[in-house]
Amino acid sequence: MEPVVRVTDLVQKRDGTKILDGISLEVYRGECFGLFGPRGAGKTAFLHILAGLDRFSGGNVEVLGCDLRKSEGFKHRLGLVTQDKSLFQDLKAGENLDFLAALKNTGRAGCYRVVEQFQLTDYLNLPVTGLAAGVYQRLALACALLNEPELLLADELFPSIDPLSHHIIAVELKKYLAGGGACILSFNNMDAWARQGFYGGRDDSGGVKGDDSGRINRVGWLEQGLLTICRPGEAAAEWERRVKSFDGQSGEDHA
Amino acid sequence: MTDKVVRTMLRQCLAVMRREVYYLWRDKGLRNILLAGSVLGLLVFYAIYSAQVLIDIPTAVADLDCSRESRQLTEDFSGAENLKVVAHPGSFAEVEELIRQGQILVGIVIPEHYARDVSLRRQGNLSIIIDGSNMIYATNAANTVLAITGRINARAGIKTLMAGGMHPDQAREAYSSVTFREEPWFNPALNYAYFLVLALALNLWQQCCMLAACQNIIGETGRKSWLQLKAAGVSKLMFFFSKSVVQITVFTLTVLPVYYLSFIVFKLPLACGFWMLFLFTLVFAVALQATGTLVSSFARTAVNSTRFGMIIAVPSFILCGYTWPLEAMPRIVQQVVKVLPQTWFFQGINYLTFKDPGWTFMSPFFSALLVIAAVSYAAAAVIASRS
Repeated sequence: MEPVVRVTDLVQKRDGTKILDGISLEVYRGECFGLFGPRGAGKTAFLHILAGLDRFSGGNVEVLGCDLRKSEGFKHRLGLVTQDKSLFQDLKAGENLDFLAALKNTGRAGCYRVVEQFQLTDYLNLPVTGLAAGVYQRLALACALLNEPELLLADELFPSIDPLSHHIIAVELKKYLAGGGACILSFNNMDAWARQGFYGGRDDSGGVKGDDSGRINRVGWLEQGLLTICRPGEAAAEWERRVKSFDGQSGEDHA
Repeated sequence: MTDKVVRTMLRQCLAVMRREVYYLWRDKGLRNILLAGSVLGLLVFYAIYSAQVLIDIPTAVADLDCSRESRQLTEDFSGAENLKVVAHPGSFAEVEELIRQGQILVGIVIPEHYARDVSLRRQGNLSIIIDGSNMIYATNAANTVLAITGRINARAGIKTLMAGGMHPDQAREAYSSVTFREEPWFNPALNYAYFLVLALALNLWQQCCMLAACQNIIGETGRKSWLQLKAAGVSKLMFFFSKSVVQITVFTLTVLPVYYLSFIVFKLPLACGFWMLFLFTLVFAVALQATGTLVSSFARTAVNSTRFGMIIAVPSFILCGYTWPLEAMPRIVQQVVKVLPQTWFFQGINYLTFKDPGWTFMSPFFSALLVIAAVSYAAAAVIASRS
């Protein structure tokens, strides 16, 4: 099976410093890849390269079969949720959907579909600057899914948002992946993701709710420009180990 | 290109245009500036120049001779259309003091023995002092005084000839064998309102337009929403072309109330037809928008772009040769200012409103504006594509 993302020896320099140092990665259809790293690790830079927003210094990147140095043909099959609020601040919520639908060459039907999916009807006439964080994030994901993309890139999809919005986003993401879409989600709060069973949610007994589909399959741990790929459980365990080691140091200091 | 691609592109263009209209309309500051700035400017400038010509220039006549002839001279100056005799000082020093204090702008001193000297056919030396600190006042005062002194000279000459035994008619004929008839064409009354009001309002208008145009590229690329546009794979050319079309349309529409008030309400002169003026304004709007777009392509921030835009737009009216002729500027400046669309526009507006010189004469003006537009757009496209 052809990967939707194939990255080989990717190097990105900023002001002479390597922020990505020879990253290689393949992501396949239906896969949900978690990109973890502390703030400033280069997650956003990596996602921006994959989205064709930024040029890169070295290596090869293919997205949806397109070499990024040669073609932008993949962009109409791509969805992007950025970490910063990148919707059009001068437009209302509904106008953002309309405008992006026109730019992505999708019909009005796509707008109606995502409005229903993300329960946005009550917010369409509001300026995006006035939306609560959760509603804004629902709108951002709705805009990203307007063109029914084959690859979704989401930078911090679950910031501090209300439980309803969290639930709606998780459900729709699961549906998207079940439909054969691939996604790369970046996050910097391992505890929150681990508590949520890497977004699947936990049942009352602490186990993972429902089936495994739609949960993060692999985690790429980005640190000092290098990407280490592991299973979500391993990533969570490593995170826990580090937290404990710091806890220990902290105890020594207090002693 | 298939129909589908064309339809898609057209739909995208319309969406970008609609969004640009929303943007211009919802930015209250920009909207008010564009809609009201130049109209308010026109009203204020028309009010300022409502007198249209300078009259009642404060004048003092110091009659040190106190003769019949000197009183006749004083009456001549008192009856002058543009002068208003407000003081009759008793000495040259008093006249000087009044000018220094700003109470008068013209001081006339009729010396002692003036009547005697004229009768003896000696030269009568009148002192006329003009306050040159205000150029407009000084020029008007000088012109008025020149006209009066010309009449006085002629009268004195005729008297001299008559005193020599010549018949009065012969003497008058001898003095009027060469007549000088001044005929200011296109603005016969040398009306300041005709000359300045429209130009000043258009200067304000072009500055407001430049303010909007110099946000064209950086106003998008400097925002987070640029990420959405890039991720959507939208053609930059299509995007900025659509935005530019809206801006040019808005610029052209916002000048129409200025033209309506100027030509219909205030009856300012318009020698050429309206459509010629409209076409010329439209071409200028394109060139101005192109210049603003170029500025917005290399500026690093929106604030810097505004600064650069204003650095061009604000002094351009002084540099364009409207108020001070280009030919009187240093040669290097004459060449440099030709790259500014304002230079061609204001020169062209002067010709069109006063003279209607026709297509042949105006074609270099149209061509220059179109060349400036083409070069600016091309440079902006290169810079934007590389950034």
